[in-house]
Parts: sequence; C-alpha cells; structure tokens
Amino acid sequence: MRIAYYVGLIWEYFTNYMKTRLTYRADFWVEVISDLLFQATNLIFIFVVFAHTETLGGFTEAEVVFVYGYFMVPYGLYSCFINLWNFGDRYIVKGEMDRILTRPAHSLFQIFLENLDPPSLIGSAIGLIIMIWSGGQLGLDMQWWFIPVMILMVIGSTLIYAGIYIILTSVSFYSDSPTGIIPLMVNIQTYGRYPITIYNRVIQIVLTWVLPFAFVGIYPAALFLQRQEMLTMAWLTPVMGLVFFTASLLLWNTGVKRYRGAGS
Amino acid sequence: MQAIEVHQLRKNFRIQQSRGGLKGALQDLFAREYREVAAVNDISFTIPQGEICGYIGENGAGKSTTIKMLTGILVPTSGDIRVNGYVPYLEREKFVNGIGVVFGQRSQLWWDIGVIESFQLLRKVYGVSESDFRKRLDELVERLELQELLSRPVRKLSLGQRMRCELVAALLHNPSIVFLDEPTIGLDIVVKSEIREFLKELNRTQGTTILLTTHDLQDIEALCSRVIMLDAGSIIYDGGLDELKSRWGSGRAVRFQFGKAVTAAELTAWTGGLPVTWTQESELVATALIPVDTAVSDLFSRVLGAAEVTDVQISETSTDEIVRQIYSSGSAEKPGAGGILHV
Repeated sequence: MRIAYYVGLIWEYFTNYMKTRLTYRADFWVEVISDLLFQATNLIFIFVVFAHTETLGGFTEAEVVFVYGYFMVPYGLYSCFINLWNFGDRYIVKGEMDRILTRPAHSLFQIFLENLDPPSLIGSAIGLIIMIWSGGQLGLDMQWWFIPVMILMVIGSTLIYAGIYIILTSVSFYSDSPTGIIPLMVNIQTYGRYPITIYNRVIQIVLTWVLPFAFVGIYPAALFLQRQEMLTMAWLTPVMGLVFFTASLLLWNTGVKRYRGAGS
Repeated sequence: MQAIEVHQLRKNFRIQQSRGGLKGALQDLFAREYREVAAVNDISFTIPQGEICGYIGENGAGKSTTIKMLTGILVPTSGDIRVNGYVPYLEREKFVNGIGVVFGQRSQLWWDIGVIESFQLLRKVYGVSESDFRKRLDELVERLELQELLSRPVRKLSLGQRMRCELVAALLHNPSIVFLDEPTIGLDIVVKSEIREFLKELNRTQGTTILLTTHDLQDIEALCSRVIMLDAGSIIYDGGLDELKSRWGSGRAVRFQFGKAVTAAELTAWTGGLPVTWTQESELVATALIPVDTAVSDLFSRVLGAAEVTDVQISETSTDEIVRQIYSSGSAEKPGAGGILHV
C-alpha cells in the first residue's frame, strides 16, 4: 500500500519533470551530451594509461573498461534518484524544508523526487553497453545468473552511494553552514572504479570500510570477471548497501528533528 | 473537542555570537560562543474546534516559530502540543493529512508547471481520491474564480492570483485545521477582502478551525473572534477582540459643527449627568469625548435637541492604535489592571 503510494509518486514527479524539461529541449540535450562527454574523457584516460602498460593492479585493459561500465550503471541511477547537490542551499538556507515537512510523505523521499534527474539514466544504459562490449572482448559467456545478480549488485551499489551522500548531507542539520565536504567526496568516489589493488593499504581500507566506494565499481564487477580473490567482497555489496543506507536514514531522521527553519 | 492544545511550549535557539574584526573571526573559527535565546517562552493556550483565532505580535515575537511547531516543522525544546489529537513532530506524516498550511512568503506550488498540474501532484501526495478531488476542486475554483488560471504556470501568476491558488492547494485534502502565516501580505485591498470572505465562509460552512498570523489588523477585525498577542516569546493577551478594545480603547470622540455660536457653559449644561468631556475648537466647533460604555445615541439626543447642528463626525480608537500602544509598552496590562488578561 505504502509502496504503491511511493511508486505512484515517482511516476507523477517523473511525468512533471518531463513536461517542464521538454519545454526547454535544447537544455535537456546539452545536459545529456555534457554528461556523456564527461564519461568519455574518463574512458579515454583509461585508454591512455593502457597505452603505457599492459595491466593495472593485475587487471587488463578490457577488464578495467568492464569495471568502468559497471560503475556507470549505479552511478547513473544514483544521479537520477538521489540528487542532494543543492540540499544545503535550497532546503536549509532558503528554508524550503518547511514546505517538505508539511506534506505526508517521508521528507528525504520528497527531496529526491523534487530533484529527479532522468537524463542521468542514459549514462546507466551506456554503462551496460560498455559492459556487454568489453565482456565480449574478454570472452565472458553470458550466464543465466548474470541478470539477477547484476540487479542485486546494482541495487547494493546504489544504496551505498545513497547512504554515503545522505550521511554527508545530514551534517547540514548539525552544522550552521553548508560544508565543503561534498566536492572532496566526488573526487574520492572515482577511486572505486579502478582496481583497488593499485592503491596502498590505507586507501584500500578506507575505500572498503569507511567510504566504501570500492563497492560501487571494482568489487561487484569482479564477480562477473570471476576474480576469485574478490569474491567475498563482491557478495558483501548488497550487505554494505543495506548497512550504509539504514545508518544514513537513522542519521537523517534524527537530523530532521534539529531543523531550525529559516527566516521568521 | 479542542483542535489545538499547547501547554508550557518553549523553543530555544542557539545563536552563534560572532566576535567583531578579523581577530574575532579567527577566534570564532576555533572556539565559538553560543547564546540560548527563547523564541517562544513557555506559552499555553487552547483553541476549540471551529474557532478563528488571530495570532499577532511584532516581527520576531515568535509567531512563526509557534506556527512551525504546531505544524510539525520544528521540534519544541520543551512543553506539550496536541493538534487534532496528534503530537505534530512525532507522527508528522499522519498528522499533516489533517492540516492545511499557507505561508504567505513561500509558495507551496511548483514554479514551472501549470496550476492544475500542481494540484494534481498534491492530490497524489495527499492520496485524495479522484472523485473527492474533482468535487473539492470544482467548489474551490468556482468560489475563488480560478477557471482561467488553471492552465497557467505558477511563475506567470500575479501575487493575488498565486495566493488564491495557494489557498486551494492547502485545502484540497479537506483539512480540519488551517494555519495561515501572513496570508494577506503584499496583496491589494480587493484580494485581501476576497480572501477574508473566503476564509469566513470556509469556517462557517465546513467548521474549519483557522489560526492565522498577520500584521494587518483588519484581517483580525474581519475574521477573528479571538486574539492571541505575543511579545518577545510570551503571550501578553489572550481573549476577545472586543474585550481588548474596551480595555484599551480610550473611548470615542464626537465632533460637532454648530450652525450658531455656542458657549462652553451651554455645552456642559446640555450633557449634564453624562460622563462627557468637551473640548472647544472655536465658537462653532466642539468635540465630546465619551467612554466606550456610554451610548453615542444618548449624547446625540441631548445635543441635537438643544442646538442647531450642521455636521457630526464620530471617531473611534482604531485597533491599530491600540495594538501600537500595547507593542510600544510591551504588555497588555492597562495601568491599574494586574497580570496577563485571560478572558
């Protein structure tokens, strides 16, 4: 009942997004294209690196590209549904949180809905294409379990993204001014799409347990590449997703109680 | 049943004390000093169902903070609140289904989409059935004459048009309590009186409880049977508007213009026995001051019977004036009367 309500809301907000966005068509395509160019430069970077070396942390070029393809899928979903970029400015400083809190749906969910960004989903689709293409180059045979496991892993990875960013955003409720921590995070999240074995031990631990960005790229992708050494980590992806997401919701729900509003 | 019950409600805000100068700014970076400020200071009141209550006070008196606690936006520092049988901040999602909120300074509608689409979206958010929605929308649209506005995007509406749409948006789910925070701010007289009429009718036909804050005392005079006045976070008056006026109003002044010259002695002789004070401007013009509990008609019958009157003006101490006096003295205690007035 409650789920049907929330799914219905996603659809309503999505159609409204489309209605407004399609009136500014040029803007829509500029956003899609700049998104894709950004991803393309990252891929080109991978090709440049492999022009100088055969393997990276024990991974071949096609494998790294495959990992990158996987990374794009949860990243696209995260960018579409969990867009907390302007939270501090828009909802705390300008006080739009007031309006959110007078409506009968979970506050965080409403904020997600108001900031839907469907063009990001194109990135997810392209990620899938890259996985299929580089998988073909690697001679990976499509197995029956790929699809359900892929869905499970992608959900896990997206929840990890959501968890980390919700935790960071909840800080806005506790600190007076918006913090500059998010740009730093955007930088760190890119580390997860390269073989974790290339980093030193401390960074590996951070990327696995503290800011678990390795679970949005290398670990789950390694499952499909059948890398035995990362098998356990790969299966931990949905678990980490649930743990981080639950923790972030708890922090958010406590944080909202500290909201002070803006103006008089 | 009581619609709103508030007991010993308090909200403290922690305000950062900034030190001046570069040196102070650097000190602030490491060790901040905070000061606790009570925006709302242990207030108590109850509002029965179906009442229209005005909530007034100067800027920063704590009106909006109270409204935000009553609507579940802010969590109180201490004290009890019950609105519609709920503690607002505890069961927020269930609770807000029964209330409507209009913030005059902030829009509830989506900027870029048509008004009707905003309404549809709200219908989904509040889970109102399509048939209930249609019925309610038709009534409201007809009452507020919004037919032509429905397909326009909100950003193209004038403030008056937008405010009427905001009212509809807040009422689509048929709430039993409506909170209005400065609903008439910035509106012209025509729209203001339309909105007042609408609110009065809503209260009469649906029994909706209304709590509104405003700086426009004509809103209060037109709508409210009861006023709660706040100053620096505390209630300084809670009672009827008439009571407030009779306590504070210094009576009425009646200015007469006579056809023939009159003397001061004649004036006092005509009104002998009535508590009247005369002031004479000239031989032909004099003003009588009478207390609120004396009928103007008594004065008239005496004066009109005795003299040739060419013109009469009656003026009353306006609510604005009364409230200004109270604001500037910071309490509703009339010299001589003790304590806060509860009527």
